[in-house]
Parts: sequence; C-alpha cells; structure tokens
Amino acid sequence: MNSALAIATTVAGIAILKSTPLIYAALGGVISENAGVVNIGLEGMMAGGAFAAVLASYYTHSLPAAVIAGAFVGGALALVLAYFAIALRANQIIVGMALNVFAVGAAALLLTVLFGQPGTSPEVRSFSSIASSSGPGIAATLHYALVWMALGLVLCAHVILYRTRVGLHLRAVGEQPRAAAVAGIDVMKIRYVATVLGGVLAGLGGAYLSVGEVDLYSDGMVAGRGFIALAAVIFGKWTPLGSFGACLFFGLFSSLQIALQRATVPAQLLEMLPYALTIVALAGFIGRSRPPASDGVPYEP
Amino acid sequence: MNRLASSFAAAALALAAGALAMLAFHADPIAAYGALLQGALGSVQGTAETFVQTTPLLLTGLGVAVAFRAGLFNIGAEGQLVVGALCSAVFGAWVHLPTLAEIPLCFAVGAAAGGLWAAIAGWLRARFGASEIITTIMLNYIAFLGANYLVSGPLRGSNAAPETAPISPSAVLHPLVSGTRLTAAFPLALIAAAALAWWLRRTVAGYELRAVGQSERAARYAGVNVGPAIVRAMALSGALAGLAGSTEVLGLLHRFNAQLSPGYGFTSIAVALLANSSPLGVIVSAFFFGLLQNGALFMQAYAGVPKDLVSVVEGLVILFSAAGMLRSARGRARVAVGPEGGVGTAPT
Repeated sequence: MNSALAIATTVAGIAILKSTPLIYAALGGVISENAGVVNIGLEGMMAGGAFAAVLASYYTHSLPAAVIAGAFVGGALALVLAYFAIALRANQIIVGMALNVFAVGAAALLLTVLFGQPGTSPEVRSFSSIASSSGPGIAATLHYALVWMALGLVLCAHVILYRTRVGLHLRAVGEQPRAAAVAGIDVMKIRYVATVLGGVLAGLGGAYLSVGEVDLYSDGMVAGRGFIALAAVIFGKWTPLGSFGACLFFGLFSSLQIALQRATVPAQLLEMLPYALTIVALAGFIGRSRPPASDGVPYEP
Repeated sequence: MNRLASSFAAAALALAAGALAMLAFHADPIAAYGALLQGALGSVQGTAETFVQTTPLLLTGLGVAVAFRAGLFNIGAEGQLVVGALCSAVFGAWVHLPTLAEIPLCFAVGAAAGGLWAAIAGWLRARFGASEIITTIMLNYIAFLGANYLVSGPLRGSNAAPETAPISPSAVLHPLVSGTRLTAAFPLALIAAAALAWWLRRTVAGYELRAVGQSERAARYAGVNVGPAIVRAMALSGALAGLAGSTEVLGLLHRFNAQLSPGYGFTSIAVALLANSSPLGVIVSAFFFGLLQNGALFMQAYAGVPKDLVSVVEGLVILFSAAGMLRSARGRARVAVGPEGGVGTAPT
C-alpha cells in the first residue's frame, strides 16, 4: 500500500516536471491566439530559447542570465512573427513554419561555429549541475522556482484575460478586431505585445529544457514539444486553465511511460495519445474546440 | 511574371543573408557557394546525386502544391511519406512477383497509403470543419510514433536494427547510371509534374479543385460538391507524398527505417511556396533545394561551412516567400493558403 502511494507520488512529481516546459509554451500560444495571432513557431521559439540559455550560461555562468536570455530570444523570434504577420499581413502559418526551420537550423549552425562540435553543446552551469555542488536542497528549490513560476503565470494569465480591462481588450482583438478598433482599442499594438509575450513564454519553456532538465543543448532536443504545446492550446480550448490542464495530462503520459517501462503498453502508443486526442477534440467528439473568431486572420485597418 | 520575380527575389535574398552569416563567422561565402555548386553539379556523380535529392522533394512538393491549389495547407507531407514508405516496404518484402508487376504495385500501395492517411485530414475538414493545418501536424506525429513502434516490434525484420525486412529483389529500382544512385524515380517524378499540370488545367476534376481553392462558396454555387472535392484534393496530395516514400524505399534503402527521410516532407512546403504552387514551377524549386541539400555536404567538407547553413537559408526562403506573396494581394498563393485564415476550425 505504502509503495503504491510512493509510486503514485513519484509519477505525479515527474508529470509536473515533464509538463512545465509545455505549460510555458502553451500559455504563450494561448495569449497570442486570443489576440488573433496563430503561433505555429512555438517549436522554433523553444529551440531558440533553449540554445540561448545554454549560450548565456556558458559565457556568464549565471542562471538568471541564462533564463533571461532564453526568454529574450524567444521574444525576438516572436517579434519577427509579429512583424510579418501583423505589419506585412503575411500568412501566419507560413511565417511560423519559417521560424521553426530557421531557429532549429541557426542553433545547429551556431553550435558548430561557436563550440566546434556539431550536435551537442558542452555541459554548462545549470539547475541540475548546482545539485552536485551545493547539495540537492538548493537545487530542488531553484528548479521548483521555475515550476512554481509556470503555475503563477497561468493564474496571472487567467485573471488578466478574464478579469481585467486589458484582457477584455485582448480577447476583443482576437474575436472582432474591427469592432475593437471602433471602440478605440489599438489592435496592432495589442497583437504585437501578445505575440512577443507568447514568444517570451515559449523561450522560457525552452530554457527550462536545456538548463533546467539537463545542462546542455543538443540538436532536436525540443523534439516536438512545441507542437504538443500547440495541441494543448487546442485541447484546452484556448484558455490558460484549460491548456494548463491539458499540459498536465500530456505530462502524465510522459511520466507513466517512465513508470511503465517494463509494462506491455509500448511507449510510442502512449506518446501518440496527445496528438490523437487533439484530433478527436477538433472533430468535436468530446465537446467542440472553437478558436477565437479572428484567430489567424490578418487585420487590415 | 510578377510572381516569378518575387520567387527569385526570395531565393536571392535568402542566399545573400546566408552569405552575410558566413561573413559574420569569417568564412568566405564565394568559396562556400562555389564548393556547393562544384559538388552538386561539377561531376556526373554529383549531378546524379542532386537529382536523387530532388526526386522526393519534387513529389512531396507537388503534393503540397496541389493542396494549396485547393485552398488547403497540408503540413503532413512528412507523415504521409513515412506511411507510404512503410506500406510500400512491407508490401515489397511480402510479395514476390515479376519486376514489371511488382514495382508498379509497390508504388500503388505507397501512393494509396499516403493518400488514405491524408484523406483522414481531408474528411475531418469536410465533415467537421476541423482545420487540416492542425490535424496534419498531429497525424505526422502519430505516423512517426506508429512507424517507430512497428519497426521496433511487430514489423521488425530479422535484423537487430529497427527496420523492416528487405524488399524482394524484383521490387528494387536499379540505378540508371552505374556508380550513382539515380533511378527511374527521377524521370517518373518529372512525368508526375507534367501530368499534374495537365490535370489541373484540362480536366473537370482539376478545375473543380482550383475552384474550391479560389472560393469555397463560389464553387458551391457553381455546383461543385465541395466536401468530396476537399477529400479528393487531400488524398491526391498525400498520394504524391506516399509515392515519394516509395521511391526512397525501392530506389535507395530497399527497406524501411525511421531515418528514411531527413525531412523532405517539411522542406516540400518551402518547395511549393517558392514555386507559387505551379506544378512546373515545383520542378525548378525542388531542383533548387535538392542542389542546396546535396551541395551542403561539399560546402562543409571543402569550405568548412557547416551544412546547417542550408537550413537557415531554407527558413529564410519560406519567410521571404511569405512576405512576397502579399504584394500581389489577389495573387494565387494568397488565396491558396488555408481557409480564410482560420486555424483550429475552418469557417463554414
């Protein structure tokens, strides 16, 4: 009985750790999509953030600098999306795809140019490397700081989106930009801010992967998490709390996989679940998932 | 003409940005691009290999382009390629027929499998209004994970490696030029491009597909049965990607494993965009990307510039193509991409 409880706590603990990067990225997606900008570049922004965090940690040996660098690069990539999607009114899906290809390629290129070794960066100071030097207590606290921050941000986003004037404006811009503009709301500005903020959050998720979970960047380390986050946005019906729940649910499957390594259920089939469920949700079999009315539609004043 | 100019501008700008990046880390762009060209086109072997790299890009690029023409955004070419390749490989290993029967059958199985996989997304879009953009992304991962599971378990060959058993000798496409890997798959892909161009322009089904791409509502009033047209367009798109998977299996690997494609299906989106979704244009843009991918290895070996530079250039080509499209606001590409912008569910 006791050991069953222990296993359950371990699985739950791992689930929360595994879902943290997803929570950041999905929250970023929720914010920008509620303002009407689809961010399919979450994967690239996570990769950019993960690489930037390692780079900053390598040169400064400072973890706060690493986390900030991750957020900054995520935001910078999102600014490109914002400029093309909002100012130039380019197709948001295509720009997002371009950013994915560009960010992953640029990280691989810089890895070779700066460190002279393709594929993997050197090990840098990270949340996990502190564990070995100053004891597990401090490391755990720091590590969990990122986890708690994710939870805090979700609650903040929920309150701001549904309980404040700014949030109302943001959602208005995503639903009926023309009506919002008539009411005196600056549609362009809100879309810019929401998109960049989304990128900052995705970058934080990336930083969590590289200097939080491990202590290096390697090619392909984001491994589709940006797209799982996108799935979580849809599965969570474009709300902060909903997508948070979806991330936890998806994280639970990653951790079950670890717990059930010897079980008869193949890991790949468990991994498929988030993707399959998203399709089911989109088709409307378990309560229809509807995006904001003007999600993905360029605004032409 | 205008669209053609904007495609060339997008490619030129991206290459120029790549050159600037090289200058930033003290590499010589002229030497690098020179090595790339020399490697990709400077010898019979090099040129043949460029065509080898072009083949899957051409077929998947045609697939993405035909979906664009129907107003659909198929991001799932990579998954459709994997499904087509896997089914083709399993069928090719299982059946032993004379070459003249076996090879066409293997292609047919690959195309059918890829087509069915894509048709799922088409059906979900036509029946429930679920965005094909999202469903094809999700179907990609389901295909990768499913294929991974199958080759590491139920469909694993006698080999220790996670791959299927080799296809029977009668299913193998042999090289056209000895000492190279160039097979009949390349001319077949060219024929597919010509056939698609003819089909889109000269048949009723092709006209209906384009009509749906221009405006679903107008097509409906003109008497087109829009739902089935969408499913057909996705199926055709996926069939071309599945065919690309078959050519890799029959011509190069002779079996299926998870490393079969380095992302041809994703690059194909850039291929179709640069070609403005014109089938004949896809030939040129697939060749351009095939040349970049093949030449990248020589650029790395002889000019010391990492081959990943090509991915950066590729990303920029997509970005600049996206920006170039809007200058002709009523241009085809603009109409062609996606339902009226909606992601998640399409407006009805």
